[in-house]
Amino acid sequence: MAADPGADARRGGLHEDSAAILIGVALVALALSIGWSGRPTVDAGSRKAFPKGWPNPLAATIDKPQTWSEAPKQALVVVDKKDPSKVKPVSIPILLGMTWVVGVLAAGTLMRGRSLPAVIPGAVLLAILGGLAYLMAAQKVINYYNLEYPLWALLVGLVIGNTIGVGKWLEPALQGEFLIKAGLVVFGAEVLFSRLLELGLPGLLTSWVVTPIVLVVTYLFGVHWMKIPSKSLCMVISADMSVCGVSAAIATGAACKAKKEELSLAIGLSLLFTVAMMVVMPPFIQWAGIDPIVGGAWLGGTIDATGAVVAAGEMLGKQLDDKRPAEVAATVKMIQNSMIGIIAFAVAVYWAGWVDRDASGPKTSLVAEAWRRFPKFILGFIGTSIVCSWLFTTSPELALLVDGAIQGFTSRLRGWLFCVGFVCMGLQTIFRELAPTLASGRPLILYCVGQALNLALSLAMASLTFGWLFKQVVTP
Amino acid sequence: MTGLAAILPGLRLLFAMAILAAVWLVVLPAIGRNPAVDRHVRLMESRDVNPAAMVYTELEHLPLRPAWIESHLVLWPTGN
Repeated sequence: MAADPGADARRGGLHEDSAAILIGVALVALALSIGWSGRPTVDAGSRKAFPKGWPNPLAATIDKPQTWSEAPKQALVVVDKKDPSKVKPVSIPILLGMTWVVGVLAAGTLMRGRSLPAVIPGAVLLAILGGLAYLMAAQKVINYYNLEYPLWALLVGLVIGNTIGVGKWLEPALQGEFLIKAGLVVFGAEVLFSRLLELGLPGLLTSWVVTPIVLVVTYLFGVHWMKIPSKSLCMVISADMSVCGVSAAIATGAACKAKKEELSLAIGLSLLFTVAMMVVMPPFIQWAGIDPIVGGAWLGGTIDATGAVVAAGEMLGKQLDDKRPAEVAATVKMIQNSMIGIIAFAVAVYWAGWVDRDASGPKTSLVAEAWRRFPKFILGFIGTSIVCSWLFTTSPELALLVDGAIQGFTSRLRGWLFCVGFVCMGLQTIFRELAPTLASGRPLILYCVGQALNLALSLAMASLTFGWLFKQVVTP
Repeated sequence: MTGLAAILPGLRLLFAMAILAAVWLVVLPAIGRNPAVDRHVRLMESRDVNPAAMVYTELEHLPLRPAWIESHLVLWPTGN
């Protein structure tokens, strides 16, 4: 993801990071203020009445293709689960979702002092390609085996980039890094620190002790033992394997300025292992006679992707006729999701202060040097996270406001921004650059070694906390 | 650039698109009709699980604290 975002500042426009922060914060503020203006008058603080938070009017302006099995046109309607004869078309919200992406690209272009007419045609095409990637990801076999949309967005970009290439007219719109940074600032609203304590001390210990250890050990193993030349590749692989898959890879990749090819490789590895672990781990837990709650915590702590964790928990729960594994698995993974902001911030500080330091450059203080290199958009990411976390804990009403804004708008918009961002990355990815590293098989070995450590430590910690120390707390 | 060389990139794109279309419109639906895959999909649908969720906010149901440990852990105001 390395580029020269400072070029915009030299043209008289805002720096890429500043534009991403302003747009991201404005979108989160818009969702919250519109949610507040439409607040319910009855049972406003009741989660039973509003399990997904207060309905947010902006939800009508954005959606994505629904799951389909035989014909892609099925993706354009929502079928009522209780009464399949009732269908609701979503074509307009999907088109509006694409329009939001074009709008973000247009706003970013203006803020950065670039030519708007040069960007719009390409932005429209990219939004359509993002829709195509979402459509591919919505096929039921793909969707229910957790092959997430970034993979297909990359594929769409790669196919075009490596056949007909990227035309000159499209180049101004290829702002994948900007879209991902803006998406991360919006994503901050979903990273609620208060969720960290959702399972109390056992959940906290399982996530907060094991995850940082696995991340640091895997990174150091890759850099110092395996001698992988790219430190950012080691960091992205370590983060996506130890924290929570693609979302962690995106956040840390942006924080350590990883190359597009490195991020693509890490995401590909993560998704392939996620599918395998989702299928293999539930029967293994049952075969090994592991306690269902410990098994659920183990699934939550080890499988990379959130959706796959819940799917594996449900598979285990069905085998054991027990709903607790899925509940514990999902909640442990949610706690890990909530760590992304802190991990990304720590990685950005470490990279700016130590890894990226130019020893031959002018002697300045460590803090000044680190600040100069620090990816400032991380502050926007952390900022939206802190504000939404604070709102979430202030009162039940505001917690429901935040949940409604996230579920109804920011989460969907973030998905579109990431999706189109990955299409841009696919269009610009040159896998030849990674060929020597790939051929050596070292990234795969690093992932396997790190995941083996993750599996061992997570099982030990889940057994210690959920199976022994706090067994009475988690027993109904 | 000769005639063939000029249209080769376009032909490559058409070929790639044909392969992708065949996979998504023929192969994947056929795989979806396999009994084991169909069972998995039905289980997930019946439990409202979205395995493709990247983060918890994309799940059909927010993974709030399980009710069976609620009485032991009261940490944040999450509604009545």
